[in-house]
Amino acid sequence: MDTNSWISILGFIATVVLAFTVGVSYGGIVRKITARIQNRVGPPVYQNFFDIFKLYSKSTAVNHGWMQHLGPAFAITASVTSLMFIPVLNGQGEFWFANLNFKGDLIFLLYMMVFGSLGMALGAGQTGNPNSAIGVSRGLSQMVGYEIPWVLALVALMLQTKSTSITGIMDYQIAHGTWMMFESPLAFIAALMAMLGMFHYAPFDVTFAPAELSSGPASEFGGKYLAMMMTSGSIFAFVKLALFVDIFMGGASNLIMLVVKTFLLYMVPVLYGIVSPRYRTEQSIRYFWGWPTLIGVLGVLYVVFVR
Amino acid sequence: MNSLLLIILILLGGAILAYLSKRISPMLSSIVSFLAITSAALVFFFLANDQEIVKISLGDFVLEWGLNAYSWIFGAMVMVMATLASLFSIFYMKGKDRLGYFNLNFDLSVMAMMGILFSLDWVSFFIFWEIMTWSSFLIIVYNGISEGKIGIKYMIFSAIGGYAMLLALVVTRSQIHSFLITDLIHSFAGFSGNMQALLGLLFLTAFGVKSAVMPLHVWAPRAYADSPMSYTAIFSGLLSKMGIFGFGIMLIAVFSHSVDGTIFVYREVLAWLAAITSVIATFYAVIQTDAKRLLAYSSIAQLGYIVMGLAIGTKLAVMAALFLAIMHAIYKGTLFMVVGAVERQTGITDMTRLGALIRKMPWTFFAALLSIIALAGIPPLGGFVGKWMLYESLITSDHYFLIILAFLSSTAAFLYSFRFLFGIFLGQEEKEFENVKEVPFTMVLPMLIGSLLLVVFGTFPGLLFKPLASAMSFLGMGDVSWNMSMLSNGWGDHVDTLDVINSVVIIFVLVAIFLGLKNRKRTRYVSTKDIHTSGEIPTENENLTYAVDFYKPFERAIAPVMKRKMDFYYNKFGEGLETFFDFLRRVYTGNGQTYAFYVIVFLVILIVFSQQIFF
Repeated sequence: MDTNSWISILGFIATVVLAFTVGVSYGGIVRKITARIQNRVGPPVYQNFFDIFKLYSKSTAVNHGWMQHLGPAFAITASVTSLMFIPVLNGQGEFWFANLNFKGDLIFLLYMMVFGSLGMALGAGQTGNPNSAIGVSRGLSQMVGYEIPWVLALVALMLQTKSTSITGIMDYQIAHGTWMMFESPLAFIAALMAMLGMFHYAPFDVTFAPAELSSGPASEFGGKYLAMMMTSGSIFAFVKLALFVDIFMGGASNLIMLVVKTFLLYMVPVLYGIVSPRYRTEQSIRYFWGWPTLIGVLGVLYVVFVR
Repeated sequence: MNSLLLIILILLGGAILAYLSKRISPMLSSIVSFLAITSAALVFFFLANDQEIVKISLGDFVLEWGLNAYSWIFGAMVMVMATLASLFSIFYMKGKDRLGYFNLNFDLSVMAMMGILFSLDWVSFFIFWEIMTWSSFLIIVYNGISEGKIGIKYMIFSAIGGYAMLLALVVTRSQIHSFLITDLIHSFAGFSGNMQALLGLLFLTAFGVKSAVMPLHVWAPRAYADSPMSYTAIFSGLLSKMGIFGFGIMLIAVFSHSVDGTIFVYREVLAWLAAITSVIATFYAVIQTDAKRLLAYSSIAQLGYIVMGLAIGTKLAVMAALFLAIMHAIYKGTLFMVVGAVERQTGITDMTRLGALIRKMPWTFFAALLSIIALAGIPPLGGFVGKWMLYESLITSDHYFLIILAFLSSTAAFLYSFRFLFGIFLGQEEKEFENVKEVPFTMVLPMLIGSLLLVVFGTFPGLLFKPLASAMSFLGMGDVSWNMSMLSNGWGDHVDTLDVINSVVIIFVLVAIFLGLKNRKRTRYVSTKDIHTSGEIPTENENLTYAVDFYKPFERAIAPVMKRKMDFYYNKFGEGLETFFDFLRRVYTGNGQTYAFYVIVFLVILIVFSQQIFF
């Protein structure tokens, strides 16, 4: 292999490490914030790293079949592949760590991001744990809910920028010297409301519902499997945040901007969630098909008729 | 001998031979049917070409058959899937009665489909169309499950479609004095606006019935679900595609020569009908508990996408529709075979009772998994390519609300996709199915071939783009650019399928090695009773299955949409007719004086209006 391919492989690994570090740290910070709001001391912010590394060193004793082995593999494949297609850092019109940024577009990404949850659902399904099945059923139902405002927001962006790719939308923002969250604010609001569901914090934590489903789909996974799923979850959280930053906030030109922007975005579902009780599944679906969808439709109409 | 005629004759002869050889041995009948279809397929792929023309004189007019780039695509699809389905059928139908009858109609259906594709004139098109309808009707009633209700529903709607087509033919004939399809295509531009509207409506109705577009879809769910599964594999996969084939001729070739206005309205209305069909049918698929019904509704939904693409009619949309049509034939054919395999081994298809067959039937599960991934449109398999192109064509042609409906339907499709896999293959192990075995090799093989085709076409969609592009330029869409493994839209955005599959496969294999190979040896298998239950130990007979009302919350959320079925409106229409005829019946009072009164009234009307009537 020549130098270029080594560099791209290094870039690939660096991106994954960055996503992992940022994702896991955010997880730790959320635990701390939650604890402080509930008037506890809470674990240190690096606790999640300890948890994951400890779990990776554990061995597993039992299994329920080969789909259970493959479930976490599906999940991490989806998160890492999605990460490859998302621009993480860009400055002066060039993309750093441009792994596969120009090889796929938003619609592809929408489907790629589902791949993992469906694969993990299959893994959870084979364990036969009724809690897992209930969790998956709820999670998929809720997904139908928040995908609608989310897709409406994306359609508004695509129509405005005449591009379906993330890089195209970012180029538009650079060329016009503005952010999409100011260009089509209605779409941004719809997407932000959909994001509440995407991150599965309360009031939309019906899938994992620790109190009634004992963490749902993950309940039968321990040791390396759990570590794998936590890794995948952290990377996936970063993927979603980076995607939001890219398409609504003009991307990030350096690490500090990236951290600031993603952290601010992340605080929306977290802070909203800490003070909220849990919806029932049908309430949460109807919530997404109510105001968020209406705002999304208005956002599309705004782009079509006003812009 | 002319190879097109040869194909029809082989299939016809195969049908008769299969019927007769039932006397010798029922199994032989299925094998004869399989051999006939296979040899027809060989003739089709190696001998048939677009130079040959068959002319058969029947009294006044001539039946003309030929092959072109457009019908070749559909022909290839029919021949491959029919071969797989008939191979599957050998063991699937083993031990069932009236096999001669079944195989006769099976082969006749395949023959009729090939005939439709070969037809160059509307008369042979219509004849083969009716043969197809009748042979499929006879198979729908084969199982004898409430055949009166289902069969009559199918027959009524097929009749509506048939009459619409017949009327369209008569009108066409009166306009251009020719039955040739090409003549209609070229002279359509010369028709008056009303004539274009009428012909368009008639033909669209005729094809809409077969491709189950709302509101003409009500026959489909039960008809698909209650036929033998080896036939449903081609019924849902291929027969419905004949409607798509006709839609393609009308929407692309014929309508492109039309005055704008009415036809544009047809396109938009049809696209919206198709989108609504796909959403509602998906919702119904989600709430089904029977695997066959689930797939039947899902077929209607997927056909909605295909019709939507054809109705939009841009290059990308048509490419997407035809690509999806082929993919749908493959994955839905495979999935119906999977259900057939499960039905044969366990005797039921009820997803609330089945479960955990993954360890008993691993190959069937593998085929089902790949087909479901393709059906859900998840990359990197073939279904994704079609869906991607459809969405891109919708958004680049400014159908921004259709794309929302399409997304709603395809996201909701994840629900039934998971339900299908979970309900049959995953979940709690049941005592009842302890001794279930994998199906014989000849049943596994067609399923595996089907699912591998999906992988191939997902990685190298260009293999299909090439014939599709020539088919589309044959229909008059001009040059269509394509790429072996790169999808692109009108705005210059693209997806590189090769990179996608590389990334997915490399990461998946690395992680799977890390988790699977090492852990597989170190861990020991435990039953699905041995799970985390918060400290409670479930007893031997305690049921931990979560299968009934699987998507209850979702059902509650969509309840307002699901209040009325289309059946309701048809029933109301029927009741309305009954009331109307009941009123008419009162005319015949049985009293001589009333009749005399009618005669006088009639005469008075005649006298009063004689000027207008006779002059």
